[in-house]
Amino acid sequence: MLIEFICNGKEISVDVLAEMRALDLIRNELLLTGTKCGCSKGECGSCTILVDGIPECSCLLLAPKLQGKVITTIEGLEGADGELHPIQQAFLEEGAVQCGFCTPGMILSTKALLKKNPAPTVTEIEEGLSGNICRCTGYTKIIKAVQFAALKLKGSEI
Amino acid sequence: MRNQELVQVGKSALKVDGRELVTGKAKFSGDFNFPDLLHGYACRSKIAAGYIKDIDISQALKVPGIVDVVLPKDILGGNIVGILPPYDQPVLADKEIRYAGESFCLVVGTSVRAAKAGARVVIATIEPIPPILTIDEALAKDARKIHAAGNITVSKKLIKGDCAKAFAESDVILEDTFETSNQEHAYLETEVVCAVPYGDGRITVHASCQSPFHIRGHIAANLNVPVANVKVVQAYTGGSFGGKDDTATEIGSLAAVAAVRQGKPVMISNEREESIVGSTLRHASRIHYRIAAKKDGTITGKEIKILLDGGAYAAESPFVAMKALIHSAGPYKIDNIKVESTALYTNKTYCGAFRGFGVPQVTFASESMMDELAKKLKMDPLELRRKNALKPGDLNATSQVFQESVGLIETIDKVIDLNRSYTLPSKKQDRYLYGTGFASMYQGISNGAEGIDVVGASVQVMQDGSALVGIGLTELGQGSRTVFAQIAAEVLGISLDKISVKQVDTDTVHDSGPTVASRSTTVGGMAVYKAAGEVKRSLLKMAALMFKTEENNIILKDNFAQLVFDENAKIPLNDVCVAAYWTGFPLMNLSFSKAPEAKYDQDTTQGNIYIAYNYGTHMMSVRIDKLTGEVKVLKHLAVHDAGKVVNPKAFEGQVEGASLTGFGLAHLEKIQYREGVIINPNLADYAVPTIKDRIPSETISIETYNPTGPYGVKGIGEPPVSGAAASFANAVAKATGIRFKKLPITRQVILEAINRKK
Ligand code: FES
Ligand code: FES
Repeated sequence: MLIEFICNGKEISVDVLAEMRALDLIRNELLLTGTKCGCSKGECGSCTILVDGIPECSCLLLAPKLQGKVITTIEGLEGADGELHPIQQAFLEEGAVQCGFCTPGMILSTKALLKKNPAPTVTEIEEGLSGNICRCTGYTKIIKAVQFAALKLKGSEI
Repeated sequence: MRNQELVQVGKSALKVDGRELVTGKAKFSGDFNFPDLLHGYACRSKIAAGYIKDIDISQALKVPGIVDVVLPKDILGGNIVGILPPYDQPVLADKEIRYAGESFCLVVGTSVRAAKAGARVVIATIEPIPPILTIDEALAKDARKIHAAGNITVSKKLIKGDCAKAFAESDVILEDTFETSNQEHAYLETEVVCAVPYGDGRITVHASCQSPFHIRGHIAANLNVPVANVKVVQAYTGGSFGGKDDTATEIGSLAAVAAVRQGKPVMISNEREESIVGSTLRHASRIHYRIAAKKDGTITGKEIKILLDGGAYAAESPFVAMKALIHSAGPYKIDNIKVESTALYTNKTYCGAFRGFGVPQVTFASESMMDELAKKLKMDPLELRRKNALKPGDLNATSQVFQESVGLIETIDKVIDLNRSYTLPSKKQDRYLYGTGFASMYQGISNGAEGIDVVGASVQVMQDGSALVGIGLTELGQGSRTVFAQIAAEVLGISLDKISVKQVDTDTVHDSGPTVASRSTTVGGMAVYKAAGEVKRSLLKMAALMFKTEENNIILKDNFAQLVFDENAKIPLNDVCVAAYWTGFPLMNLSFSKAPEAKYDQDTTQGNIYIAYNYGTHMMSVRIDKLTGEVKVLKHLAVHDAGKVVNPKAFEGQVEGASLTGFGLAHLEKIQYREGVIINPNLADYAVPTIKDRIPSETISIETYNPTGPYGVKGIGEPPVSGAAASFANAVAKATGIRFKKLPITRQVILEAINRKK
C-alpha cells in the first residue's frame, strides 16, 4: 500500500507491505540507519523514533501506521549547516556516549522529554529515559547530558 | 616522560568518533546494505545434549527466497572456532549437540524473513542424551565425557610458601563457600557480521567484533584459504565487554563460507535471543575459601579452590581460570597461598571473556571473607585491609614485586577519609536497614600469563600538519581511539582536531593481538607513543635545519615548531612537514611495543606475570526496605590507582559503566535454566540495569606513575566490576546482618532471608 508521511522535514511517499515494520522501512528503504535495532521486542529503546513528537519503538510499529504522521529520526536533528543539535552537543560534551548504539534512541527520548518538560528533575529524567537501555555508561553521564541540554535549550524551540 | 608538562594527556577530550555516533552516521555492521545482500539465519538445537542423526534440508530449500543451506560438510576448512587450544568447538555442530542454542546449519535467503521461514522447516533428528548441567554432575566419577578428554577443561595451581604450616600456626581459621551465576554481556548491539566478496579475489568481512585478527585467522582456516586472502574490517561496534571474540569468529566464519558459496554478500545478525543463548557468558563459579590469620589481623595463609562452570566449549576458559587463580587471594601481602583453579565443561552455553575475566567472582569470595575475618577479630574492615595491603616492594600472590605504582593503601586511605565525613541516615526508622560495605581489589594489566603481548602502531604525518594513527586494537566504546589520538597529539605537538585514528582494517594496520586485559592504553599506547616519537624525530631534524640550530633547541607545540628559549620564533608545523617530505625525511613509522614476557613456574604460578596492576577500593552504602527487600544504593565510591589518567571524563565513564555492570552481577542479573535451556533469553526477563537502577558512583583516581605505560598510565576498563560487586555484597551483609554467599543477591533473596531471620 502507498503511504505518505513526513520524515525529518521531507515528504515521503512509499509503497509498503501491510506487515512491514516501521523500523525496516526506515532502515532498509529510507536508508536511515541511525535508527538501531537491539531487540525487536520493545525492550531496549534503541529503535526509538519520534512520531508526532512522541517517542515510539519503531520495532513494534507497523509501517502503515506512519500514514499522515510527522516523524523524526536521529538524522533529522543536525542542522542543515552541519551544526549539532544542542542535545547531540550535550551528549558529546558530557561524555554520555561510549559505544553509541543506544545514543540515537537516547537523544530522541531526551528531545521528547524536554519538549514536554523543559526543566526535568533527575527522577523525571529517569522516568523519561526508562525505556532506553544503555549497557556502557552507567547512565550518570546521560543524566548530566540531559540536564546540560535542558539548560542550553531553556526557552528555545526544540 | 615522568614529570613532563603535558598538554593533551590528562585533559578531558571529546570522543574523536563521537560526532558520527550522535548523528547516527556511524556505520555499524548491520548498517551495510548491498542490492544483492543475502541473510543467514542459524538453526539451533532446542535441547542441551544429543547426537545428530540427520538434518533434512529438502523442505527448507523449497521455501521462496532460500538460496542455500550451509551444513558442516560445506565448511571446507577445519570447521573450528575457539580462539585458544584445545580448539574444541565447531562452527556448526556436526555429530553432537553440546548445548541448547548450538547451531547446526545456516539457512541463507534473500531476506531475514525468508531465512527464518526456511530455518523453521529444517528437520533435525537429534537423539537426546542426558545433559550434564552442574559442576557436580560434571565432576561425578562416572560422568559422561562431554569432550573426549573428559569434563575438565583446565586445572591450574598456584603455590606460594607453606600453607599447611601457616594454618597450623594460626590463631583463627575461617572457611566458607561462595557461588556466582552466569552473566550475559547484553551489549546493546548484538553480534553482526557482513561478509562481502568484493570481486578482488578475496573475502572481506565487516564485523562487530573485538579482535579482528582472531577472526581473520579463523575465517581463513574455515575457508581453507591463505590468511592473506581474508580482510576483516571492524565496523563501529556497539559494545563488546569481552563477548565479541568467539562469537564473532563463529558467525564471521559462517558468513564468509556462505558468501563464497554464493558469490554474494551475506549478513548474519544475531537476534537478541541468539545473542544470549548462542554467545559467551560470564562463568558461573563455586569458590571454596579458607583463610588463616593471627590475632592482630595479619593474614598468614589462604587456601582456595575455584571451580568455574565453563559450559560446552573451552573458549577462553583456560585464561579465565588462570586469571581467577592469580587474583583469588586478593591484593594482599600473604606469605602462604595455595590455590587450585579448575574450569569444567557442562552442557550449557559456553562461557568466555567478560569484563573482569574471572576476577569479579574471586573478589566477591575474597572480600566477603575479609569482612567475616574483621568481624571475627573485632577489627575495622578497612583497617584489616590496610594492615595486609600490598605495598611497593612486597611480593604479591605470584611473588612478583613492583617497586612503584602500587597505590592500594592510598585508595584505602581515601575511602577511610571520605567515609569519615559521610553518615548513614539514622537507623531509627523501622522500615529500613542501612549498611556500608567495602572491598579492595586488584587486576593485572596486559596479557600476562595469557601470552606474549605485542602491539604494532603506525603514525603518519601529512604535509598539511595532520596525522593519522593506525593500530590493531579496537574501539568498543571504551574510548581507546581518543586515548591513542591524545598520545599522538601529545608527542607531535599537533592539536587533537588534526588527528585521525583508523578503524581497524586487518589490511592496513598491524596485528596487535586481542583488545583485552585492559591493555589498550598501556601496551597499545606505548606503541603509538613510539611511532609518533620516530616521526617527531624527522620533524625536529627538519625544523632544526630551517631554524639553523640544534634539534634539542626545538619543541613541537600547538601545531608549531618553536624555539625552546623564544616562543615567538616559530614555524607552522605544516611548513615543516612539507619541507621534511621534499627533503626525504620519513613521515610515517610503524613501531612495536612489547610487554616484558611473563616468566613463571608452570606448576606453582610463581613469577612475573603482568606489567602492572590496577588497585582499587570501593565503598557502597545501601538502604534496604525490610518489607519489600528493595535495595537503594545511597553512596558508591570507586577509588582506583590506574596510573596516570589520560582522559578524565572517559575514565569516569569507564568506572561508572563497569560499576553498574558489577552491581548488575551482584544484585540483578541471572541467567536461568530449565533442563539446560535458558528460559529468560530477552531483555525483559533478564534484568539488565535500566536508568532507574543506576547507582550514584563517584570516581576518584589516585595517580601513581606506572613505568611500563606511556606517561605512567595503566588501565581501567575492567577493575571496577569487581569492586562494585564485592562492596555491594558486603553492604547488604552489614545492613541485614546476614552473609549472602551467592550472587546475585536479588531483592527476593534478601527479603526471604530477612523473613527467615525474624
Ligand atoms: S529494537 Fe525496538 S525496543 Fe529494542
Ligand atoms: S553507549 Fe553503549 S549502549 Fe549506551
